[in-house]
Amino acid sequence: MGRLTDSDPDDTAAAAPAENNTAEALDPAAEPHHSARRHLALGRELLRISVRRVPGLTLALLLTQTAAVAVVAVTALCLRAAVNASAQGRAGTAVAAALGAAVAYAVTAVTADLGGNIKGLIIDKVSLLDLSASVHRDIASLDGIEHLESGDFLDRTVIVAGSTWSIVNGFWAAVMAVFGAAQLAVALLLLGTVSPWLLALLGFAAAPLWFDQRGQRAVSRAETDTAESYRLQQHLFDLATQAGTGKEVRVAGAGEQLASRQAAAWDHAVRARTRAQVTASLWTVTGWFVFSLGFTAGLAAVIYRVAHGHGSAGDIVLAITVAVTLLQSVQTTVSGTTTATAARRVVEPYLWLRDYIEAERVRAEGSTGPAPAALTRGIALEGLTFRYPGADRPALDDVSILLPAGSVVAVVGEYGSGKTTLVKLLTKLYRPESGVIRVDGTPLAALDTVGWRAATSVAFQDFGRYRTRLAETVGLGDVPYIDDRARTAAALTAADADTFVARLPEGQETQLGRALGGVDLSEGQWQKTALARASMRPGPLLFVLDEPTASLDAPSEQEIFLHYMARARELAERAGAVTVIVSHRFSTVAGADLILVLDKGKLVEHGPHAELLAAGGRYADLYGLQAAAYAS
Amino acid sequence: MTSTTAAALKPPATPKAPEAPKSPAAAHPRIALLRILGPAGRGPLTAITGLALVKSLLPAATALIMAALVERAESHAPATVFAAELVPLLLFGLVLLAGHVIDAATGPLTYLARARIDGAHRARLARLAATTPTIEALERPDVQALIRLSRAEPENWTERTPADGALGQLRLLLGLTGLIGSCAVLAGYALWPIPLLLGPAAANQYLRNRQAHQFTRVWRASNPEWLHADVWKQAVLTPGTAVEQRVFGAEDWMLGRMMHHALIMFEPIWAMSVRLLRNEWTQFLLVATPLLILFGEVADRAAHGRSSVALETAVFAAGWSVFQTLGYSEDVRSVRAAADSLVAYDELCAALGPSATAASAEVPAPAPAPDDASDAAGLVRFEDVSFRYPGTERLVLDGLDLEIRQGELLALVGLNGAGKSTLIKLLSGLYLPTGGRITAGGRELGPAGIDAWREQISVVFQDFAKYHLPVRDNVALGRGRIPVDEDALAAAARDAGLDQLLTRLPDGWDTPLSRAVAGGVDLSGGQWQQVVLARALYAVHTGARLLVLDEPTAHLDVRTEFDVFHRLAAHKHDAGVVLISHRLSTVRQADRIVLLEDGRITETGDHDELLALGGRYAELFAIQAERFTRGYDDRVDPDQEETAPWAA
Repeated sequence: MGRLTDSDPDDTAAAAPAENNTAEALDPAAEPHHSARRHLALGRELLRISVRRVPGLTLALLLTQTAAVAVVAVTALCLRAAVNASAQGRAGTAVAAALGAAVAYAVTAVTADLGGNIKGLIIDKVSLLDLSASVHRDIASLDGIEHLESGDFLDRTVIVAGSTWSIVNGFWAAVMAVFGAAQLAVALLLLGTVSPWLLALLGFAAAPLWFDQRGQRAVSRAETDTAESYRLQQHLFDLATQAGTGKEVRVAGAGEQLASRQAAAWDHAVRARTRAQVTASLWTVTGWFVFSLGFTAGLAAVIYRVAHGHGSAGDIVLAITVAVTLLQSVQTTVSGTTTATAARRVVEPYLWLRDYIEAERVRAEGSTGPAPAALTRGIALEGLTFRYPGADRPALDDVSILLPAGSVVAVVGEYGSGKTTLVKLLTKLYRPESGVIRVDGTPLAALDTVGWRAATSVAFQDFGRYRTRLAETVGLGDVPYIDDRARTAAALTAADADTFVARLPEGQETQLGRALGGVDLSEGQWQKTALARASMRPGPLLFVLDEPTASLDAPSEQEIFLHYMARARELAERAGAVTVIVSHRFSTVAGADLILVLDKGKLVEHGPHAELLAAGGRYADLYGLQAAAYAS
Repeated sequence: MTSTTAAALKPPATPKAPEAPKSPAAAHPRIALLRILGPAGRGPLTAITGLALVKSLLPAATALIMAALVERAESHAPATVFAAELVPLLLFGLVLLAGHVIDAATGPLTYLARARIDGAHRARLARLAATTPTIEALERPDVQALIRLSRAEPENWTERTPADGALGQLRLLLGLTGLIGSCAVLAGYALWPIPLLLGPAAANQYLRNRQAHQFTRVWRASNPEWLHADVWKQAVLTPGTAVEQRVFGAEDWMLGRMMHHALIMFEPIWAMSVRLLRNEWTQFLLVATPLLILFGEVADRAAHGRSSVALETAVFAAGWSVFQTLGYSEDVRSVRAAADSLVAYDELCAALGPSATAASAEVPAPAPAPDDASDAAGLVRFEDVSFRYPGTERLVLDGLDLEIRQGELLALVGLNGAGKSTLIKLLSGLYLPTGGRITAGGRELGPAGIDAWREQISVVFQDFAKYHLPVRDNVALGRGRIPVDEDALAAAARDAGLDQLLTRLPDGWDTPLSRAVAGGVDLSGGQWQQVVLARALYAVHTGARLLVLDEPTAHLDVRTEFDVFHRLAAHKHDAGVVLISHRLSTVRQADRIVLLEDGRITETGDHDELLALGGRYAELFAIQAERFTRGYDDRVDPDQEETAPWAA
């Protein structure tokens, strides 16, 4: 897909959707024969995990399901024995068998409940405590963030993270289908005890199973095919009922149109889905018609045998009892198979994610060098080039410059010029396509990622609004000190946040976010929390402010600007730290030691403010445009 | 913004269901459920009812047929038995097939009925919410909570759609006829087994239902904790926060937090599950005890020849079917949950309804006709207008006087929270003033004729709508009351500078603006702003005479902003333009600038006049100008959408 997102600097990239070749090549669905084996392996793994996590429950579930299979046979056999013994006048046997049937029925009722509840509990626990925990850890522990930014990768990552429950559920549904099939087989074997001829019914029982599956596939297909209409009606419904868009909808008089388009999209989805339901239902009826025909013929054979003295009245009872339970068994089997098949939608991305993470880990090997304690030369960019997947031009194109130790560097440029990309390369969130970054001569790629990042601090443009206690939102900037209130308080002061913190009901301990029972912050206040977070680490070697003051009012901005400039100088003095300030406003940067002017990924000018103005190039041009607007 | 969906381990959290429903429907929510069956259509409903009735009698029929088969097999001589058995045998085949056919046919019928009922319900709700004249109720969190509860879109497994409940209620009632059939079979044997079985079966059902409701309650009570867990789940999944998580090395802490809150949510639920598992013995006893007594007695009598073996067979089958009919059914949960949803819907109607009906009833007294208005000196006049949000104390606007004129580019300037966005809401009739009056062409704005007034204005809000529809609709919905005007579309695209983007879109005007739609693309913030500008200009080309823009250039860089400003200035002769902006470098070019402070207009004039006046505007401009020359940012004070006070 074409990159047309907001935070992405690629505003000018082509709007046309482009196929993502990388994703295509990684798609495991491309190799179906291979995937069946992987599904089985995943099944074994999930069983192992379940046994380890909840051994008692797993055993209980398997026993319950075994009991559910056995009880089908026990019920039918007891009923037959009771009827036969009654006919022969053997009261003791008749009563004992009847009591057996009563208990068997009660067991049937209980196992049905137990099975469902135990299964639910196992799935809950395994999916949360094992699968979800490991998936989130994997997602969070990758060095890069491509799996969260590139549209196609992000889609899969989000599906997996949101559906670990479905993966475990799919596995247990498959197990249930196996038990359902076993129940079916036991029932038919019982008929075989009446006459081996009745074993032929096995063939007839396959009919509903096969036809039902076919129908369910039609239903799933219709759901996929109409998913778009369904999503659209949901979207239009939300627009019609939300307050934010409600203003525009009213003024523009779009309400009626939205409501009727919503209804039309709903109808479209429903029509196709109903058609599929009818198809499925016809398949099901066909299957059961075949079966009923076969079974009635089989029953006639039983009666014929009874009439000729080869069997008992009890055989009739047994046969009918079995026939009635068959429906249940077939439905269990089919629904289990359908659920397990539907889980493929999640399992495939899950397997992809595991492969992807494995491959990334291998690539990251070898980055073990420690970060330096201080900078002496600085950070050198040499022919640095980076391209987003699927983009037609590099976001950063052959940039070479030295960011000297102890300097304040400003990066300016319009939207899409590559400013944020540069920051992400400096923090090892992206790998350069070509070129290298050297930290005092050592290639950044050779440095241990965690160690290097610990020597940086960043306030990002697209910062987090963590709805937790205020102190924690700030303390996240230096996790070991997250509960150190003196540190968080100092960081808040540095971000000029004291005034608003003083007004919060519980100061630093205030929960943020109204939906969570806390307080909502304004955009400017959130920005201050991000700045405070960036001030938590005491002595970073690289300090980045990416559009740090876009949402702040004038006095706050001035206060903060002065403070951070002072801090930059102090850090520079202490450890030769480099401070990078990113802005698309030319006015914020005049005081920097070095200004980098980026245009469409290229470094077009660099130097201090006065020098660039004198040069009369692009910088001077754009600066002049703004300056003129304020001329009297 | 990222498009990360709310992905949860379990479906996402919901607000708590209302505890004690108090609306009129609350008295008989189950009856109300049956009343909403209508849209399903007579055909499907009759079919569902008929099929369910037949199906409910099948267990009893099976019992009787089985008895007949056994009886004839016992009593007839081998030579004649086959002829004697033929009828019951064929009947059995039919009953067996009927059971399956009914199940198979009920599936699509129920699906259709459900879709029709819920579809009608949603359409009603969407229309209700989208067409109330003012926005006041819709902005209330409690109203939004009611919409979430009543919109037939379950957010988790404890919620059900109205149709689920209505059809479930129908099934529960029809199922009871099966009970009558089974009891009739038992009565053929003796009367005493009926209370023997019905009592425990009813008790068992009551216990199962109560446990189901208990479990739902525990789940719903714990569920809000998920919101806390989700903060950290989303933190590692959202690109922006994932970047911070990496730089700050916070993944262990974040994931620890996620798990901490998830466990707070799930531990009571799991404990409840285990308790329910342990309680299964009650079900065993309640089912086993009466069956043991009945089955033992029947077998004994049959063995001693005091009753026929055939009857014994029938009793076995009918006895078990009593427990099956009165077993636990998901329908019980559906009925309870759907009743909650209907109650919420009634409350929603009460909250949105009266004003909606009032407006549609008062058709006359329309807003100024175009010719009428052009005579008037001012397009719109605010006269001593004051306003406070419902349920709050603070006057956002206080004695505001303002005239908006035709053919003029008016800039509205003010600090954060000064009430600029509120002023626009009043101008659009989305709220009514609490004091003073607003006139358009000499007539007072009110609920009556508000549609006619809105046909004459076009507003770009900060939180404009991004329709997942083709570009054409995204522009044309700027004026939804008229058929699409192709010429105006082309003109609007030209004026808004949308042409260039259109040529780059795969299907031009027909490209859907969402990747969620086949062949669609996602636009950047700046590109969306161009689309929305075209939307506003389309309205101007089709007759709107006042164009209002709330921070239209927030996503644009300086060069583009200049460009946009000049495009707008070109339109002021077709329509008056009101512009809210923080960039005074842009504002200074307006024909007239008004400063909103303390809820009223404190300064008015063009840039030079206001500078000469040396008041607040001059001060703000000086700060910006100086800050610029000294190397600071060039915004006075950015402002988000002023939120209603209860959101603060």
